[in-house]
Amino acid sequence: MNFFDIILFPFRWIVSAVLWVFHELFTLIGMDPASGVTWVLSIVGLTLVMRTLTIPLFLKQIKSMRGMQELQPEMAKLQAKYKGKKDQLSRQAMAEEQMALYKEHGSNPFAACLPIIVQMPIFFALFQVLRSVPQAAQGNESIHVLAPQLVHQFNASTIFGAPLFSTLMQPGNGNHAATIILAVVMIVAMSATQFITQKQLTARNMSDSAKESPMYRQQQMMLYMFPLIFAIGGINFPLGVLVYWTVSNLWSMGQQWWVIRNNPTKGSQAERELNERRAAKGLPPVGMSKKEHEEKVEEQRQRAAAGQRAQPVSKKRQKQQSKKNYG
Amino acid sequence: MTSRVTPEQLLARAPHEYNLSGGFLGVLRGIPQNLCIALLKLYRTIVSPLYGDVCRYFPSCSAYALEAVTVHGAVRGLGLSVKRLLRCHPWAAGGIDRVPAGGREFTSAASTPKVVLLNHPNLVHQYTHDCPARHAAQGANAR
Repeated sequence: MNFFDIILFPFRWIVSAVLWVFHELFTLIGMDPASGVTWVLSIVGLTLVMRTLTIPLFLKQIKSMRGMQELQPEMAKLQAKYKGKKDQLSRQAMAEEQMALYKEHGSNPFAACLPIIVQMPIFFALFQVLRSVPQAAQGNESIHVLAPQLVHQFNASTIFGAPLFSTLMQPGNGNHAATIILAVVMIVAMSATQFITQKQLTARNMSDSAKESPMYRQQQMMLYMFPLIFAIGGINFPLGVLVYWTVSNLWSMGQQWWVIRNNPTKGSQAERELNERRAAKGLPPVGMSKKEHEEKVEEQRQRAAAGQRAQPVSKKRQKQQSKKNYG
Repeated sequence: MTSRVTPEQLLARAPHEYNLSGGFLGVLRGIPQNLCIALLKLYRTIVSPLYGDVCRYFPSCSAYALEAVTVHGAVRGLGLSVKRLLRCHPWAAGGIDRVPAGGREFTSAASTPKVVLLNHPNLVHQYTHDCPARHAAQGANAR
């Protein structure tokens, strides 16, 4: 065992235990213990447990991203201050001021990746357990909590005739067509979900000022890189691992959708949409109490009544405002 | 007193970081220091651009190390650099973290090596604005 394996040992143990618990549970409610469906559902259960456990980390990540977004106005000021100054010294001076700003707000762009790092051992452990099944079955070994007999069963189980541990490149001795179709479908599904998740984040949940930063361009590149990595890596992953990854990506997409819908970033497209939905229900915009909102509307109305020329408003907003004022 | 120079000109004219003072013996004693400087500069030309800006601190770890070795010499400079690298981990809050003052001092803009100028961008602005009274104080503030 090397250093990496020693660190991962407790995580691997937990992963195998969760798999075992789900398998026992499904057997208990009358499912065939040797069936591929039972094992696939156990993997799905494992994925759901792992993703639920990492929700706090996800929230922390969101918070840190919000922190970055909150200092966006000050950042924009800084960018304006150094606008057009391309020489090395000015850029250094700007980097220095940026660092001071991050420190002051207690958020660092390089700290945003911490939750991802913390999740790493869990995912590595999961991969190691799933990928070690064929080898352990061959050597008649146990995988932590899973007894050799269970490992054999797991390894031999098939779904639609495709062995759970066959890969697109090595379809094994089961139904080759089924393996290939299942692998391709899942690879496409996980690449697509990854793409949609990223796209949602950048297109709808970034403030307009954040979209002008170099960080945005970097994220745009990731948008196309990740699905590609999945597609390339996917051809070498056993179906069982693909099931895990597809379900996990679907979960990410749902999680993201929920957060963007109900708790959008300030100044983003998603916030405008949320405020429109709230207005339709007669609620004030986010971050404003009903009283504050009414006072603001009242003030606007009085100013208009006082004979001051009203600001030109688009037809769409005119309709909304009249709805708010008189509806 | 140099007449008005732009920061760009100052940077372009900045001397190298190598320590070649003290005659033949001085150069001999400076071998470890200059070797470290050369390696760090090589790292900063070849490896640093591959990463982009990733350090949690200002100046970045490699800029810090280069300045530390330039100003403090090989032994203390490397010691400071190692301490800094240990401070730069995913849980660190980051911020501004400068090299403490050391044995080599630079009294004028023209004699300040490039890395020190880059690590103290505001110093340059003070240098480039003609203000003799301030210059005297800068020897002390320089680092």
